[in-house]
Amino acid sequence: MQSAEHGISMRLVSSTITGNRDSPVRHVISVLISDRVGVLRDITSAVTALGGNIDGISQTVVQGYFTVILTASFSRPCDAETIRSAILKNFAPDEASVVVRPYERAGEAEPTVRGERYILTLNGNDRPGILKTVTSFLAEKGVNIEDWFVEFHAGHVVHVGEITLPAQLDIRQLQTELKRTASALGLESVLQHENIFRATNDIGPIRALLEGSANG
Amino acid sequence: MVDRKDVLSTVRMLREENLDVRTVTLGIHLGDCVRNDPADTAEAAASKIRMKACHLVRICDEIAARYGVAVVNKRIAISPACNLLEGRDVSAALTLASALDKAASDVSVDLIGGFSALAHKGMTPGTRTVIESLPDVLSTTQRLCASINVATTHAGVHVDAVLLAARQIVRTALATRSRRGFGAAKLTVFANMPEDNPFMAGAVLGPGEPECVVNVGVSGPGVIKRAVERLLLARPKSSLDEIADEIKHTAYRVTRTGELVGREVAKRLGVPFGVVDLSLAPTPRVGDSVGEIYHAMGIEKLGAPGTTAAVALLNDAVKKGGSFASSSVGGLSGAFIPLMEDHALSRAAADGTLSLEKLEAMTAVCSVGLDMILLPGDTSPEAIAGLILDEASIGVVNRKTTSVRVIPVPDGKPGERVDFGGLFGAGTICQPVCPDGAETFVNRGGHIPAPIQGLTN
Repeated sequence: MQSAEHGISMRLVSSTITGNRDSPVRHVISVLISDRVGVLRDITSAVTALGGNIDGISQTVVQGYFTVILTASFSRPCDAETIRSAILKNFAPDEASVVVRPYERAGEAEPTVRGERYILTLNGNDRPGILKTVTSFLAEKGVNIEDWFVEFHAGHVVHVGEITLPAQLDIRQLQTELKRTASALGLESVLQHENIFRATNDIGPIRALLEGSANG
Repeated sequence: MVDRKDVLSTVRMLREENLDVRTVTLGIHLGDCVRNDPADTAEAAASKIRMKACHLVRICDEIAARYGVAVVNKRIAISPACNLLEGRDVSAALTLASALDKAASDVSVDLIGGFSALAHKGMTPGTRTVIESLPDVLSTTQRLCASINVATTHAGVHVDAVLLAARQIVRTALATRSRRGFGAAKLTVFANMPEDNPFMAGAVLGPGEPECVVNVGVSGPGVIKRAVERLLLARPKSSLDEIADEIKHTAYRVTRTGELVGREVAKRLGVPFGVVDLSLAPTPRVGDSVGEIYHAMGIEKLGAPGTTAAVALLNDAVKKGGSFASSSVGGLSGAFIPLMEDHALSRAAADGTLSLEKLEAMTAVCSVGLDMILLPGDTSPEAIAGLILDEASIGVVNRKTTSVRVIPVPDGKPGERVDFGGLFGAGTICQPVCPDGAETFVNRGGHIPAPIQGLTN
């Protein structure tokens, strides 16, 4: 895998589930390792050799560290320790940290928060406590963070958060409170519906975008 | 997931480069408001405006907050007022104008356009009433804007209407002498007037339009300028076609912003969405100037040979990017060059590099025409009529919209600076190189016949 040149990225929720969710044996697997070419191959080949079908995956690289979370369904009985050992065998001793747990969530994954998707941008000078303060504020408001990216340039920091707002939240009130919270940290905040980014960067018709929002 | 680079570039356009939606204009047809008594007609028109537009500003503000995109102006365009004034006199026109102005104030819109007369082929009594009332109307109202269509490619140029319009421009300026002739800044004279133009002073809801419709005017000269600057910083030797490509792609994004906002406002108002007008509309702010784009392209002195080509390149690239971005493009759709509203153009005029004649040449390849130009107070109606005839001829022959919005500043002298404030801006009084000598031609009146280009059937 290629390392990110700048910044760290946090994907706090993964929702890409496409495979056989009805399998009697399903596990969630997380791996942390210093990035190099072939990491994902080494993980997936171990899972596949045990008869596993990967049905959900999200991966990122932060400051040279590779991390992946995936779910896999197995056609035959297979416990967590067996899977963990099989993966570790494909790496050097102490090269990777692997966590495997039985998948416990039954049925279709429900969205954590029902509402519309917004993009929060924060920028200013970096300082300790930004993420703690902002994520605490968002959690208090019932806002779910779907994705978060941070970029650093010579002491300057830009946070980009993809968040879902509960439908009942007043956007302008939230924007005002966010500005106040960000301002206390020396940051500028902008909260915008995701459609403005889709409109300015995608090529599909605007009409379809709005219909998508209405149905979402 | 939205790409983070896309997020950052969009945020930059909105926060640092003055991308905004310049106007959301609600068109309202008033044809059903005619009553036996002129006062009742005026009240019916005002009531309909209040009913249809009462939520316009609130909804625009909500959408602006949702997307983080400023909607700078919220406006109304009515169907031409001349249709409400058939068989009426000037006092009825004043009653109507006052009611429209009050209704616009009641719903908190910035301006209301459509106090208009369609006189390109002939004049009905209602048309004549509108034109004759303009000095009184524009000097006694705050938000009302007027326009006169004096020519089309199919009808040719109605010279009698041009002469009448020119005289009313002078009278309107004199009627607002205390504000340096500001009333004339609210009056535009068109050739090939568009029926869905959201921009003032010429916004009007044309006869083929829906009863109510939302039209949107985007802006974004600052975004285009920065895109050109970034390109040239990365690749200083970029050719003009590479610059055109950059402008085209940026215009695409600007247009999409306008359509998104316009469609959502229309949806919430429960009316159809009409068009996005692609025009690059400058404001007097530094960083929001069309003139600065020409500077960025390499025209150091606006007005130098090559300036018209730069205007043509910009205008064409904007249209191409915008027309791919949206299937609902209309209005004027091009680059504006309003002298007073663009600080770079205004400075060039003050410096003497940009003449009225060069501006006229530039209008042949971009949208609108001689816009927001200050003239000396002693400019004759015939000279203004000559300017209108020249512009109208460019429009008629090239099958495009052109317009004239000039302000003969009472007692104003060439070189004097005048400031109207706000979006109307400031500028220096300029005059044609040869301000007189065509009176005999202009006073012949009649029509300039439609050009052969008009015979398309």
